[in-house]
Amino acid sequence: MEWLNRILEVAWGFVPITVTFIVVLMIVAYTVLAERRVLAFIQGRLGPNRVGYGGLLQPFADLLKFILKEDIVPDKSTRFVYFLAPVVAIMTALMTMIVYPFGPAVYIPILGEVRELVIARFDVALLYVLGITSVGVYGIALAGWSSNNKYSLMGGLRAASQLISYELSLGLSLIGVVLLSGTLDLYAIVEQQSGWYGLQWNIWRPDRIQFFGFLIYLISAIAETNRVPFDLPEAETELVAGFHTEYSAMKFALFFMAEYVNMLTVSMLATTLFLGGWNGPGVASFPILGVFYFLGKVVFFLFLYIWLRGTLPRFRFDQLMNFGWKFLLPVAILNIIFTATFAYFGLFG
Amino acid sequence: MITLLFILFAGLAVGCAVSVVVQRNPLYSAISLVGVFVSLAALYVMLAAPFIAAVQVIVYAGAIMVLVVFVIMLLNVEEEVRRRLRLRFLIPTAVVLAAVLIAETAFVIYFVQAQPSPMDPGTSEVGLTASIGTGLFTIYLLPFEITSVLLLMAIVGAMTLARRAQNVPVGVGVAPGAQVLTRSIVNPKAIGDATPVITNSTAEAERLLGGEKEE
Repeated sequence: MEWLNRILEVAWGFVPITVTFIVVLMIVAYTVLAERRVLAFIQGRLGPNRVGYGGLLQPFADLLKFILKEDIVPDKSTRFVYFLAPVVAIMTALMTMIVYPFGPAVYIPILGEVRELVIARFDVALLYVLGITSVGVYGIALAGWSSNNKYSLMGGLRAASQLISYELSLGLSLIGVVLLSGTLDLYAIVEQQSGWYGLQWNIWRPDRIQFFGFLIYLISAIAETNRVPFDLPEAETELVAGFHTEYSAMKFALFFMAEYVNMLTVSMLATTLFLGGWNGPGVASFPILGVFYFLGKVVFFLFLYIWLRGTLPRFRFDQLMNFGWKFLLPVAILNIIFTATFAYFGLFG
Repeated sequence: MITLLFILFAGLAVGCAVSVVVQRNPLYSAISLVGVFVSLAALYVMLAAPFIAAVQVIVYAGAIMVLVVFVIMLLNVEEEVRRRLRLRFLIPTAVVLAAVLIAETAFVIYFVQAQPSPMDPGTSEVGLTASIGTGLFTIYLLPFEITSVLLLMAIVGAMTLARRAQNVPVGVGVAPGAQVLTRSIVNPKAIGDATPVITNSTAEAERLLGGEKEE
């Protein structure tokens, strides 16, 4: 019966993955709804409020519509790459979810044991996130190329150059935190930030302050996810819809979902590294509260995204490149130099 | 379990590597190469070297190949046409070299005493980030710094070559006649400034385009 136990063991590994997958997709669905409603309120409209109470069932109506729409493939597209691109986009977006610590060690009644609420805990978790995100560029670039449409190609090229440029400052902004924590394990980084009623969070912790690192990360993260004010790859006034102009029905929905999952990813990373992850008042005695603190902080970032979209106009492309290379990158490097110097001379305790 | 995963990723790596060579479309070759890098990274993880795996994905798949794909897309490289083989002696040479390579591999597998099993990822600490960092900044500091200088040289060289192309002689590319230019064309420093600059003759436009560039 040993083989049966082995199979059961492997099958158990899929349970947290499946739960996370479903929760993430639900959060994505309701982020889309929240975005449409909040944006409507910012612009003095009502937004979708007909399906279900206050529009709460709207995401499912949208999903049904995406499935039932005709799936159009352009005649002269490069078929294989055209089909591959949305797969790459959504896969790389979802793959990063396995490393985030959603909560502290919690007693799980079904298993009858105490478990850390993280799918996989390993040495290079942070590098894994950066690596998978950098592979995500292919989804957008290949979509633009394979559609055989000049607007798509322009959008794909813009996206690729934008992502390469802002990935640098994004990666460099995290080095300050890594320097001070001495580990790449996200769970360990969150544990280090516990206690002192939130004063130990890396963003304002007196002995290892990373406020500028946080700001650089936030700006580059918005650029990485192609969101307003950095949504040049899909600037509708110039490029129709950018790289996904030729995509329809469920393939378009995959790109759409990938964008929102990426938003969720960078929000979770910001929460984990700078805002103390699942830490909050009362977590020490009631560990399950940590999950809600974590979700609350992530929702704050998602709201920030929507707020920015309702407030800011779009950058021009040369402004975007100048800002990334001539301002953000030097500031990120300065942040590393200062952090390293202070850490070396022991000014950070 | 680990054997199954090894067969899966090793097969994927070999398949993608063959595809890199066989494909006629350069973009397909590039995508296959990305596949090779990703499956190699998975193999590194199984060999208890997660740091190398992560760096493999970030540097090769995430940075270098993105640039290659970018250039292929930008230049719109056409599919290679299948031509008749001219250097016929290459085929027997390739066969002989392949035989030598296979023989070497067989020799290594059968006669060299290998480690009984791959290192257990749970217990080995050789491939972890901390031990690699310690090694890089203590024992291997000099090679590490020399490699960095090498990369710096490459960057400086690329910058020099790229800048040289901009020293175009004065007046080249000026259209004849009176014209209206934007300030951003006349003065490269005023990027995005669309204020019109009116010139009444070819000579004036030439002077404007050449004159402000030199400052």
